[in-house]
Amino acid sequence: MAELGRLAVCLALLFAAYGVLAGLLGGIRRRAHLARSAEHAAYAVLALVVIATVILLRALLRHDFTLEYVAAYSSSTLPTQYTVAALWGGQKGSLLFWSLLLTLFTTVVQVQNRERNRALMPYVTATLMCVAVFFLSLLVFVTDPFERLPVAAREGADLNPLLQNYWMMIHPPSLYTGYVSASVPFAFAIAALASGQLGDQWMRSVRRWALFSWAFLSLGNLLGARWAYEVLGWGGYWAWDPVENAAFMPWLVSTAYLHSVMIQEKRDMLRIWNMVLVLLTFALTIFGTFLTRSGVISSVHSFTQSGLGPFFIGFLLFVLLVAGGLLAYRLPELRTPAVMESFLSREAAFLFNNLVLVGIAFAVFWGTVFPVLSEWVRGVKITVGPPFFNRVNAPLGLVLLFLAGVGPAIAWRRASPRNLRRAFTGPVGAGLAAAAALAVARVPLGYAFATFALGVFVLGTIVQEFWRGMRARQAMLHESAPRALGRLVGKNRRRYGGYLIHVGVVSIFVAIAASNAFRIEAQETLKPGDEMAAGKFRLRYERITSDENAHLSRVAAEVSVWRGGKRIATLAPEKRFYKKPQQPTTEVAMRSTLTEDLYLVLGSYDPPTGLVTLQAYVNPLVSWLWLGGVIMAGGTLVTMWPSAAERRAPAFELGAGRVPAG
Amino acid sequence: MRGAGLALVALLLALPARAATQQEVEESLTCQCGCGLTVHACNHLQCPSGEPMKQEIAERLARGEDVDTILAAFRTRYGEKVLSAPTFRGFNWLAWVTPFAAILAGALGVSLVIRRWVRAPATAPPAPPPVAEELRRRLARELEDMDRET
Repeated sequence: MAELGRLAVCLALLFAAYGVLAGLLGGIRRRAHLARSAEHAAYAVLALVVIATVILLRALLRHDFTLEYVAAYSSSTLPTQYTVAALWGGQKGSLLFWSLLLTLFTTVVQVQNRERNRALMPYVTATLMCVAVFFLSLLVFVTDPFERLPVAAREGADLNPLLQNYWMMIHPPSLYTGYVSASVPFAFAIAALASGQLGDQWMRSVRRWALFSWAFLSLGNLLGARWAYEVLGWGGYWAWDPVENAAFMPWLVSTAYLHSVMIQEKRDMLRIWNMVLVLLTFALTIFGTFLTRSGVISSVHSFTQSGLGPFFIGFLLFVLLVAGGLLAYRLPELRTPAVMESFLSREAAFLFNNLVLVGIAFAVFWGTVFPVLSEWVRGVKITVGPPFFNRVNAPLGLVLLFLAGVGPAIAWRRASPRNLRRAFTGPVGAGLAAAAALAVARVPLGYAFATFALGVFVLGTIVQEFWRGMRARQAMLHESAPRALGRLVGKNRRRYGGYLIHVGVVSIFVAIAASNAFRIEAQETLKPGDEMAAGKFRLRYERITSDENAHLSRVAAEVSVWRGGKRIATLAPEKRFYKKPQQPTTEVAMRSTLTEDLYLVLGSYDPPTGLVTLQAYVNPLVSWLWLGGVIMAGGTLVTMWPSAAERRAPAFELGAGRVPAG
Repeated sequence: MRGAGLALVALLLALPARAATQQEVEESLTCQCGCGLTVHACNHLQCPSGEPMKQEIAERLARGEDVDTILAAFRTRYGEKVLSAPTFRGFNWLAWVTPFAAILAGALGVSLVIRRWVRAPATAPPAPPPVAEELRRRLARELEDMDRET
C-alpha cells in the first residue's frame, strides 16, 4: 500500500506541474480549453492527494511499523484519536496534510468560479498549483512520508507526549486551514496582476476567503494558547515563542487587510497597499513554516525540525520575486487618484490602524529574527524573549485598542465637530467613568488600567452603534426593539458582525492585561494535611495517588480548595510519565471561573514521605480570553453568513453540468 | 484624538520601575535547559538549570545585591544569551529602537500622504468623465446591493 501512496504523490506532482503550465498558457494565450484542462488537472491532484492521505492514515491506524513515519510518530498503545493526530504530528505527515488542504481549497475555488472570473481563473489555478508543486516536490524528492524502514520496527517511538492532548487534535488543523486558505486570496491577487484585471472584482471574489483564513488563524492562535496553558504548565498561555510569532504575524497583516479593504470598496483607494497586504500575508505563512521547520531559531515547537529550511527560504524568495515583479510591472495601472477630505475621518483612522497592525507585525518579526542578526553581525548569541515583546507590543496594542474605538464611530470622509461630539461624547464619557471607577477601586495606574478604560470606551462606541441603529429602525419602521435589532444586524451583517468581533477583541485585551498584571503565584513544599495560601484560596494537600497503564504512569496530588471556610473544589494536578519516549509531562489541574482561574501544578514529589511541591497560580480573567474567542467566532459567522438574496440566487451553481469533459 | 492616545502611551512608558523582586530577576533570565522559557516560567521537574538559578537569585537578593549585579554575574557565566531580552547598548540597542522608529517613520509617511490627498482636490480637480464613470459604477453597485438586501 505504501508504494501506492508514493505513486499517488508522484502522480499528483506531475498533474500539478501540468496544471501550472496549462493554466499559464491558457491565461497568456487566452485559451479557454487549456484553462479548463488546468482545472481538471487540479481535480486529479486532489483525488491523488486524498488517496495518499488515506493510505498514510490507514498505515497509522494499522500500526504498520515498516513505515518510518508510522514508527517515528505513533505506537501500538497510542489512543486512536492521537494516532489520527499523528498525521500532522510529524514533518512528513504535516506536509501531506498541507497539500491536502491546499488542493481541497483549490477545488472549492474552481467550483465556485466555474462561470465566474474566467479571465482570472487560469492564473488562479496556475498559482495554487505552483504552491502545490512546491509541497509535493518536498514529499517526492526530500522527505517521503511512505519511506520504508530497512527493518520493520517492533514498536513505534510514539507521538511526543506534549502533543497527546485534545487541543492538539484541533489546534494544528485550524492553524493549517488558516495558513493554507491564505493561498486563495494570494492566488487571486497574482491572477489580477498577471491578467491586468486590476479592478475590484478579484477582491470581491476573495472577500469570504480572506475572512475564512483570518478566522481560522484567529482560532488556531487561540487554540494554541489554550494548549500551551493546559499542557506546558507554566501558568501562562503565550510565550512569544518563534513559532507562536510565526502564526501571529500573518494574522496581524490579514487583520490589517480586512480593514483597509473597506477603504478600497468605499473610496476606491489603496489598491496597491491592499495588494501588498495580501501578498505579504501569504509570504508570512511560508515564512512561518520556514521558522517552524528550519531550526534556525530555537523554539519549544521543534517537533518537526528538519533540514527543510533552505527549501522554504528558496520558495519564499521565489514568491517575493514573482509577486514583487508583477506588482512593479502593474504599478502604473494600480495607481488611483486618491482624494481624502480630512485627517478626522474613518479613512485616516483605518490608515493608522493599518500602520499599527503592520507595525506590530514588524516588531514581532524583528524580535524573532534579531538573534540571528546578532549572531551574524557580532557573532554573539542573544535571546529575545517575552520581556522584549511585551514591552514593545504593549504600548502599540493600546494604540490599536484606542483606534478600534475611533474607527467604527467616526464619519467617512470628514468628521464635523458636530459628528465628533455626537459620536464620542458617550463612549469617551463611559471610558472616563470607567477610569474613575478603577481609580476608586485602587487599580494601579499602568497597562491594565489603560486597557480596561480603553476597553470600556471601545464597547461604548459599539453599544452606541447598535443602539442608534436599532432606535432609527424603531422610529422609521415601527418595529419592536428585538425585531429592529435582529433586522439591523441581518441587513448589515458585515458591519455588525465586525462590531461583535471587536467585542471579542476587547474581551481578549482585558484578559491579557488582567492576567499579566494581577496574577498571584505561590509555591510551597507540603506534607499530607498541610495547607498553603494562594490569593483568596486556601489549599490543603490531602494525599498522593498513583496509577499506571501500558501507555503511561501517573502521580497525582489530591488538593482540596477552600475559601472562606468552605470547601469549594478538589483538584488533582498530575505528573505523567510516558513510556515510549520516556518523558514526564505536567497535567495542570484547574478551577476556572469567569473571575479567575486557580491553576495548580505538581512540581517535585517524594512518594515514600508524601512530600510534594505545589505551584499555585491565580490568573484573573483568563476565561475572558476563550470567551473573547467564542465571541469573535460568532461575529465572524454573522459576517460571513450569506444574505437572503445570496442564498436564493447562489453565485455559482453546483452540478450545472455545462462544463464539457476533457 | 490621536494626540491623547500618544500622550497616554508616553505616560505609561514613563511609569517608574518597581523595586526588584525574585520574580523580576527570574523573568530577566532565560533558562538554560533548552526549554526556551524564562527561568521564572520553566517548571521542569527538578530542572538542572532553572532550579539552581532560582536558588542563587534568592541567595544573592538576600545578600542585598541589586538586579544589575545579579544579571551581570549570570551573564559572565553563561554569556549574553542568558538575558531574556537584549540589552539597551551597542548593536542590541537596534532591537529596541527599530520597531518604534519604523512605526514613527510610517506614521510620518501616512500623515504626509494624507496631507497630500487632502490638498489634492484644491490643486488638481479631477476631470469630469472619470468621475461620472465612477459615479455610474457606484450607483450600479449600490442599486445592486439594495436589490440584494431587500
